[in-house]
Amino acid sequence: MRRLLKILDFTLSSLLKRKYKNFALIAVYAFTIAVLGSVLFLTQALKYEATGSLETAPDIVVQRIFAGRHDLIPVNYAETIRRLPGVKSVSSRVWGYYYDSLIKANLTFLASGSDRQTLDLLEGRLPLADDECSIGMGIQSAFGPAIGDSLALEDSAGATKTFQVVGLFRAESNLLTNDLVIFQEQTLRAFFNIDSSLATDLIVEVYNPRETKTLAKKIKYHLADTRPITRDEILHTYETLFNWRSGMMLAVATGALIAFCILAWDKATGLSAEEKREIGILKALGWETADVLTVKLWEGLVISLTSLLIGLIGAWVHVFVFGAPALTPLLKGWSVLYPDFAYTALIDIYQVFVLAMLTVGPYIACTLIPAWKTAVTDPDLVMRG
Amino acid sequence: MILHPGILALLSLSAVIFIIMLVAGWHSLKLIVYWDANSSSERQLLLERKTWLISTLLNYTLTVQIFSLLLFVFTADDIHRLFIGAMCATGSLNANLVGWLVLLVKGVLLFMASFWVVFNQLDQRTEDAPLTRLKYIGLLLMTPLFALDLYLQWRYFSGLQPEVITSCCGSLFSAEGEGVAGDLAGMPIGQAMTLFFSVAGFYLLVLLACLRTRRVIFRPLLFVASVLMFFISLGAVVAFISLYIYQMPSHHCPFDMLQANYGYIGYPMYIGLYCAALFGMLPGLAQPLRKYIGLRREIDLVERQWLLKALGGMVVFLLIACWQMIFGSFKLLGY
Amino acid sequence: MAGLLKIDQLTKIFNRHRPDETTALSDLSLTILQEECIALTGPSGSGKTTLLSLLGCMSRPTSGNILFQGRNISRLPERFLAQIRRDSFGFIFQQYNLLRSHTVLENLMLPLYPTDRQWKEIRRRALELLERFQLGNMHSKKITQLSGGEQQRVAIARALMADPEVIIADEPTAHLDEQLSAELLDILATLNGEGKTIIIATHDPFIYAADIIQRRISLQHGHITADTMP
Ligand SMILES: Nc1ncnc2c1ncn2[C@@H]1O[C@H](COP(=O)(O)OP(=O)(O)OP(=O)(O)O)[C@@H](O)[C@H]1O
Ligand SMILES: [Mg+2]
Repeated sequence: MRRLLKILDFTLSSLLKRKYKNFALIAVYAFTIAVLGSVLFLTQALKYEATGSLETAPDIVVQRIFAGRHDLIPVNYAETIRRLPGVKSVSSRVWGYYYDSLIKANLTFLASGSDRQTLDLLEGRLPLADDECSIGMGIQSAFGPAIGDSLALEDSAGATKTFQVVGLFRAESNLLTNDLVIFQEQTLRAFFNIDSSLATDLIVEVYNPRETKTLAKKIKYHLADTRPITRDEILHTYETLFNWRSGMMLAVATGALIAFCILAWDKATGLSAEEKREIGILKALGWETADVLTVKLWEGLVISLTSLLIGLIGAWVHVFVFGAPALTPLLKGWSVLYPDFAYTALIDIYQVFVLAMLTVGPYIACTLIPAWKTAVTDPDLVMRG
Repeated sequence: MILHPGILALLSLSAVIFIIMLVAGWHSLKLIVYWDANSSSERQLLLERKTWLISTLLNYTLTVQIFSLLLFVFTADDIHRLFIGAMCATGSLNANLVGWLVLLVKGVLLFMASFWVVFNQLDQRTEDAPLTRLKYIGLLLMTPLFALDLYLQWRYFSGLQPEVITSCCGSLFSAEGEGVAGDLAGMPIGQAMTLFFSVAGFYLLVLLACLRTRRVIFRPLLFVASVLMFFISLGAVVAFISLYIYQMPSHHCPFDMLQANYGYIGYPMYIGLYCAALFGMLPGLAQPLRKYIGLRREIDLVERQWLLKALGGMVVFLLIACWQMIFGSFKLLGY
Repeated sequence: MAGLLKIDQLTKIFNRHRPDETTALSDLSLTILQEECIALTGPSGSGKTTLLSLLGCMSRPTSGNILFQGRNISRLPERFLAQIRRDSFGFIFQQYNLLRSHTVLENLMLPLYPTDRQWKEIRRRALELLERFQLGNMHSKKITQLSGGEQQRVAIARALMADPEVIIADEPTAHLDEQLSAELLDILATLNGEGKTIIIATHDPFIYAADIIQRRISLQHGHITADTMP
């Protein structure tokens, strides 16, 4: 143990002697790790947001499928569902998307009262009059209206209408309320021109969560033209989606890492004459091959752990302090309107572990065999100058 | 195939290990053919130096293998949300047949690599390194297992279909479940406890006997006891230790205890068990090697440490496993 | 006085079974006693360095035996050779062989790093030796900032770190002027007086003819041609 520590001591002092070279190496390495780490942290944060907001999502959402696509659902379907045993409540929701050509983004319009979950996140109040609305943070930063300002939108007939902003979702971060605009139900129906016998979808609450799947099947059975979506299914979709996206990006970033390893390999194999001489001296002084290998191993560990630490901090700052400006467009993908919002800073040990395995493991491997080349040096080499 | 960061890390780690083992295997082959301890040729000197390369590679492999096993369990746990009905790592492993096989291969490799590293260290301390050929033949035999590990992992992860409904520990380890796992969980607690404690007691007795006397007979006996103890303990974890740790009468999952919810209590417990099994097996395995005089001296030097480590591991394992049983408020036997 | 190093029919052939095969030493037998101070001479290429490297456990013979303190070390794995080298031999090389980018103190401590000794203890020993060679105030200087004579003394101090029984010096005066050579001889004489066995390979008549040399061995083409005790 003492021996190991002393050899570590030697390694550190040798590393410091070659400051610039090693700092450059660490910089490149840490950058690679920061890129990988940003991908992991961002995915994790997004996943957390998404699943977090879904926790309050309805147990089952019932959509109507017409000609293979999502269509408005008759409100009276709710009666059929309500009669099924195990159903706690059914309510209809009115919502829709709105493309704003000014900021080139899709907004989500939702009728107030349709979705309980967003209520707690409100500052100001919900719209009470026909010309009032409440908006999410994303919209506020894109359009710039604050409470009391007005918002001009073009309705389905092409007429411009102005709404007064009376509420703001000041949630620290929320994927689902970010691009949201809330109106009174009547206002929204008029805006989208939706008949009062129709709704966008129905949401169903059940008494026993274990029965959700069975109930979904029953709804499908009784109302053949509907598509019930359970919360679990949404969660799976999110999970798969996020994993897939981050996996894709990781695969690309791993490519970069491999390139880096090749670099490291190249560096390690091309031993300078000076390094070779030093190893010869160490061996002549009684260092064993194993000791020299230990130096090289320590060297790899010190460099990769330092880089890992710097890279992790870099990734953390990038994602949680600056909101991942470099990655956001790639990962979020499905909507343009996510200007900036802070992610809940959380570090998952698992993610750090994966990152460490993904970066430190291969790097050490890349330095092992070249390191051995240094160890085969003859000790009596130094006697012949 | 699910593209998941953990899966990516696991597959690349296994690939790296496999490549390293290929390199080590290639050098081993040369070592086996050309090794001649009495020669003073330059080739022999080179081979001798190569043994250091290979031991470094194997040390690396063992370390990575330990992490890889952990990462595998973690990843299985992390991806359980992708499967309907899966609530923890057990559910993910059930998603297709290969999951448990991967875990088994990883476990076997962990033990084999540990044995190799330990005996290699012993051998390298002697002047004549009598085990050289044997070691490298063993290494060559190990290499295909690493390939198998990589292949099975690939099969497991590429075969994962997120829609698959899997049974989770709730059903796999519930009394109605089928197969060994179900039997374990369904076993009457009292009976399972008796079995576990008698085997653990037997192990401890033999261990103490080994510490007291140099009699040869106890070493192989301890080996047998260690193997028995290891498997029965794993069974006992599923059968009743987990229940006490989770304080729930039907949660039989052997992996959940590695989670933060349970204070990571699983780590010291499994590490204890691993040490108890590994160091318990070593004296028995080393017994036939005592015929080499140089090795005998080295074995005599370290054997006591092995035994003490085994004892330490076992004590840690038993303490954690039984803590709740004795001091906890949760009672199973009363039912 | 007991036989400390005993070599028996030692042969060293480089690049064996190859066109550039060279026999550096052939069939050499020799016994070196404790506390002897030996000068090894001979023309260039006669095998002096090769012999020193074999005696100092730096390489292994092609055939023949080397016994160090009664232990046959000629077939020992490198690891054990390194251990013996570390504990029992101190080397003074022609080119000093100091790590240029490290400090004087670090260079001194190097030989004892791969041992179980405490860091503090090693440091203390290094500082003591530096004092002894009047280098006490230079311990944090880099090697590149030292003069040739100072470097030579650092190299000698390093050779003494492990308190070895045998000191092996290969052409130690090749880069030194007369005054520094005399200084070196003084140091070697003191060490010999302390009971260390000293083996010096040299062309330099200054050393060769010095008083402290108790035995002269001449090599030619890998054979001993003379072994005299003046
Ligand atoms: N590593 C080597 N490979 C091949 N031949 C070598 C090697 N080392 C030494 N020789 C050969 O062995 C012979 C003896 O060399 P050695 O270095 O021992 O001579 P020396 O007496 O020290 O000479 P000098 O006085 O010039 O230092 C020389 O012919 C040399 O060419
Ligand atoms: Mg020479």
